[in-house]
Order: sequence, then C-alpha cells, then structure tokens
Amino acid sequence: MLIAALLALQLAADPPQPSPPRTITIDQRLAEDAGLRVGDRVEVVADPGARWEIVSIGAITRRQADPSEIARDEPRVRLHLDHLQTLLGYGDRVDRFAVATSEDSATAAVRRINEAAFGFQAHRSIDIAVETSETFLVVTRFHRAIGVITIVASAIFLLCILLIKVEERRRDVAALRLMGISRSTVLRMVVAEAAVIALVGSGLGVLIGYGVSAAVNAYYQAVYRTPLRFSIVTPDIVLFAAVLSLVLGVAAGALAAQRLVRTQPLTLLGR
Amino acid sequence: MRTRLALRSLVRHRARTALAVLGVAVAAAMLLDMVMLSGGLRESFAQLLMSRGFQFRLAPRGTLPFDTEATIAGGTAIAARLAAHPDIEAVSPVLGASLHLVGDSGSVTSFGLGVHPMLQGDYTVESGQDITGPEHMVANEDFIRLTGVSVGDTILLAAGYNPLLRATSGERQLVVRGEARFLYLSDAQPAVALALRTLQEMTGAATDDRVSLLMVQTRASADIDTLDSWIERVAPTVNAISTREALANVDARLSYFRQIAFILGAVSLVVGFLLVTTLVTVSVNERAGEIAVMRAIGISRLHIVQQIVIEGVVISVAGATLGLALGLATARYLNAILSNFPGLPAAIDFFLFQPASVWRALGLLVAAGIIAGIFPAWRAGSLPIARTLREEAVA
Repeated sequence: MLIAALLALQLAADPPQPSPPRTITIDQRLAEDAGLRVGDRVEVVADPGARWEIVSIGAITRRQADPSEIARDEPRVRLHLDHLQTLLGYGDRVDRFAVATSEDSATAAVRRINEAAFGFQAHRSIDIAVETSETFLVVTRFHRAIGVITIVASAIFLLCILLIKVEERRRDVAALRLMGISRSTVLRMVVAEAAVIALVGSGLGVLIGYGVSAAVNAYYQAVYRTPLRFSIVTPDIVLFAAVLSLVLGVAAGALAAQRLVRTQPLTLLGR
Repeated sequence: MRTRLALRSLVRHRARTALAVLGVAVAAAMLLDMVMLSGGLRESFAQLLMSRGFQFRLAPRGTLPFDTEATIAGGTAIAARLAAHPDIEAVSPVLGASLHLVGDSGSVTSFGLGVHPMLQGDYTVESGQDITGPEHMVANEDFIRLTGVSVGDTILLAAGYNPLLRATSGERQLVVRGEARFLYLSDAQPAVALALRTLQEMTGAATDDRVSLLMVQTRASADIDTLDSWIERVAPTVNAISTREALANVDARLSYFRQIAFILGAVSLVVGFLLVTTLVTVSVNERAGEIAVMRAIGISRLHIVQQIVIEGVVISVAGATLGLALGLATARYLNAILSNFPGLPAAIDFFLFQPASVWRALGLLVAAGIIAGIFPAWRAGSLPIARTLREEAVA
C-alpha cells in the first residue's frame, strides 16, 4: 500500500521551503488527534531515517463507513500520485488501477482487460471484497453462533414463564370446567391468552431491541470514530422474534392447557 | 428435613423444574463462555509472547511488527549496540518476506523469515535439524504439504515472482533441513525460515543490512520502562514495543470481544437470576396454604425460609453443573470459529479455561440463585397464618 508507506507525520518546526509545498489531504481522525487544520504545514517521510519533506494540508476528508478500518486505528493521508511516487522512489509504478464500468458490463470488461493485459491482471471489485472480507465472515459466524445460543436460552426462558403463567390459571380453568365450558373452548382460551402474552412481550422486546441497538451504535461509533452502523434491527429480525415468541407461546400454552383440561376440575381445585 | 422438603417440592413439578434447570444451564454456559472469552485472548497472547522470553519487539518507527513492509536499516549494528547493554541478554534480528517456490503446476507463496538460528525465537524444530549454514532452511507442515517437498530435498526459492511472465528474481537453492512449527503465524500459512543473510541477499535487503524486526531478550532483573526509553534513545529509527505494550495493543484492537463478553455475561447472570426468582416465587404462591399450615403446626419461620432458599440453590447448582459441561463444549465450538480470524497466530485461544475465574463465575451464578430465593422465601416466611389459611380454604 502506497498510502500505508507514509510512516511518519510531524508538525513542521523549520522555516518553509523556498518553493510552495505540495498539498496533501488527511482524514478527520488524524486532524482531531494531531490538532491539524487546513493550511497547516507538516513533514512527511517515506521511511524512518529518510529525508523528510514539508507539505501543506489542502483538505480534511470525512471517514467512510468502511468496516475494514475498524480494527486498524490508522490515520489516512492522501497525496498526488506523482508526489507519492517521488517520495517513495517508485518511478512511474502504481499498485493498481481502478476502472469504472457500468454494473452490467463489469464481468465483460474484466475479461477484455485480461485478454489484452500483459504483466497485470484485472479483478472485479466484488471478488476482491469477498476475498478480503474473511475477518467479517469470521465475526459473522461467531455472532450467528452466539445468536443461536441466545435464542435457545430465550426460548427456554419463555417456555418456562409461559408454562408457569398457564399453570397459575388452574383454579380459573377448574371453575370454567365446573360451569360446563367445554375442554376445547378452555384449551383455545388458554392458548389465545398465551399467544397474546407472547405477542405483547415480543412487541416490548422489539422496542427494547431498538433502544439497545441505538445505544450500541452510539457507543461503538464513538469508540471507533466511524459512521458505520454496528447494529441494525431489520424487519426480518423483528418478524423472526415475533414468530418465534408466538410459536413458543402457543406451544407452551397448548402443552400446559392440555394438562389442565385433562385433569379433573376438583383435582385442580385441590379437593 | 428442609432439603428433603425442598427436593420434593421441586420434583412435584418436574417439567417446570427441568425447564428452569435447563434455562439456568444455558445461562451458566453462556456466562462461562464469556468469562473464558474476556480474559482468554489476553492471557493466551501473553503466554505466546513470553513463550521464548523476548520482552521487546523493535519494529520500524511508527509501525507494528510485520504490519507494513517497512524495514530497519543497519539491523546488525543496532543489534550489536543493544546487546552491549548489561540488562539485555540477546537480540535476534528478523527479516520477513514473501518467498515463492515455482513448479510446473504453478507457484506456492510462503512467508519467509530470515533469522540467526542460534538466537531466534520464532519457531521450534519439530523434526530433522535446524539451520546451520547459509544454504539451509526449515519449513512448516503447511509448506511441506503444499509443495510436496521432504526433509533433505534441495529446492529453488525465489524472492520475487511474476505469475504472468513466469519470471522469478532473487533465486536461491536451499536444502530443507527440518520441519518447524512457527509460533506467531496464523493457521494454514505456509512458512519457511532461513539464515538472515541469505534472505537479505535474495530480497536485496543486504545492501543496507535491513531487517523487519529485532527481538530483545532481557535479564530478569531488568527495569522494562528504563530499558524501553534507553532503546528508543540509542535506536531512534525503531519503535520498542514491550510485551505489556503489545498486550495493551491487542486489548485495544480486540476490545470488542471483551465488551461483548461482559455484556452477554451480565445478561446471562440476570437471566439465571430471573429464572430462579420467577420459579421460586410462583412455587411459593402456589403453596401459600401449605406453608401457612406448616407455620400453624409450629414449623419455624427460619425453617420455611431455609427450605425455599434451598430450592433456589438446588436449581442454581444443578443448572451450573450442567452449564459447565455445556459451556466447555460451546467454548470449543466458538473457539474453532474464531481461530480462523485472519492474521492471528494459530497458537492463540480466544476461549481459555482459567480455573480461578471460571469457578468465580459459576460461584457468582449460584450466589445469584441464593439471592433470587431470598425474596420469595422471606415472603413465604412472613405470610399471615390465619388469613392465608382462611383464604386458601375459601378458594
């Protein structure tokens, strides 16, 4: 990486060079940390111990929401290509070309470039992204595994609570049965009640989820100084949570209600 | 008597008790995993860094070891100057570069380390012999598997390779002397080690005697902070990174895992607490009449409280025991996922079983179970006997 080869950046203490210095851009994080502003002069050096050069800060750039920058607390400095080539003694060499194509013609363009290429190879941006996103794939797999454990724990918790909740209605069920209400009606009533509790609970959970997600984003965006969103509550997640709690609620309600309606009403009353 | 009554009460509602124990077990497993995750990575990394006794890593100023392609000029001279300090036992210069073995069916690119074999702290020889001459090398299992070479073979390694032109540069014939395990490399990374001077000649780094890293071994009596300042004074082109600083850096880079461990661990503890509280409270409410009868026939309030607390403790202990086994199994699974983290040494474990912290975490869960039982127990012990009996009889 050419940009990463800029190893040191220090405030200039010496008088300015005779010719007007070249300009560079730095990112917002570096500007804040080093207390730099547009127009300030700094020294750049390509290698520790090499000769430094005074440059002027021409612009301060905003950081993009790039996940690859999260783990690397690296400042970003951009120079004109010929400037960096001179600084590094690179001649007219470059690391890569970025080629803009329409979305549909990218594959064909890559093929045509590679057919004509000599000494280099073209890749689609999406293929490079897939190859370089191993870190995020690992983190995603880890999150998924943690998610499964959390869902299992939540499911057991929900099942337990709903089982208890339904069992608490044993006397009501006994009274209804003694009044002549049919087993199936009682069963439907208990299941419907469990479903309502599960749905109201999941609605409340979604609200809490939105709140926690906002807090997580605010915290990590501040920690890593990035506009990246770390937690997103999508409609799919809301739907999954609601359906899961509904299924568990109905299952727990049905299980407990089955037991209750099969038991003699007087036994339920403890007689 | 109290324990028997508590156990009978739990057995009376088998399904409910089983679910509660299972719930606590999952919470305990999660808590255990998060405790192992929170300190495991740091401890594992510290063990790895100190495994060969090198207290300092000296990287080019402004960089971390092997983080960029920057190198330090005059490596041997710096090493000699540092080695003269009475608190420094040894200095090992290391150069890193990509090396290519070009065959008919393509090339294998590996990570090459140039070292002084007598001083190095990067690998251990597993079989065969170490490097003793400029034409010798050792390779790891992945390199041997990918290239099909055997110990004793002579191969042609190149420092530069253009796959389109099939042109190589910086070639050298080297004899594979042994198989080595590289301590700081990630999983499935083919690697070789050869004499420092040989690699410098192959890569063109010999002109300025360039190295990527200097590893410094200190004496036990050395003051690390003083030595740190001294090193940076005598070698201004390097960044002296002590083990403590390296750990702080790892902490900063992977703080996310510590934070997630803390949050999920706390949630697990709360879930376990809530489960036990809910179950015991419902159980007490259901048995209000029974408890009132016990109080009426002379059973003491303390006896009732103890019986209810024991119920909470039994659920917590059973859940924690089951959770211990479950947690160890899931930790293994999660560790296997995270061990694929790019760039991290294969020897690092994210989930490290440290008995003291694990027992402390499980003890905390059992304590939460005891506290969870105290409130319903206190309520049960404080029931107004006559009114409860009347209400239960009417009901």
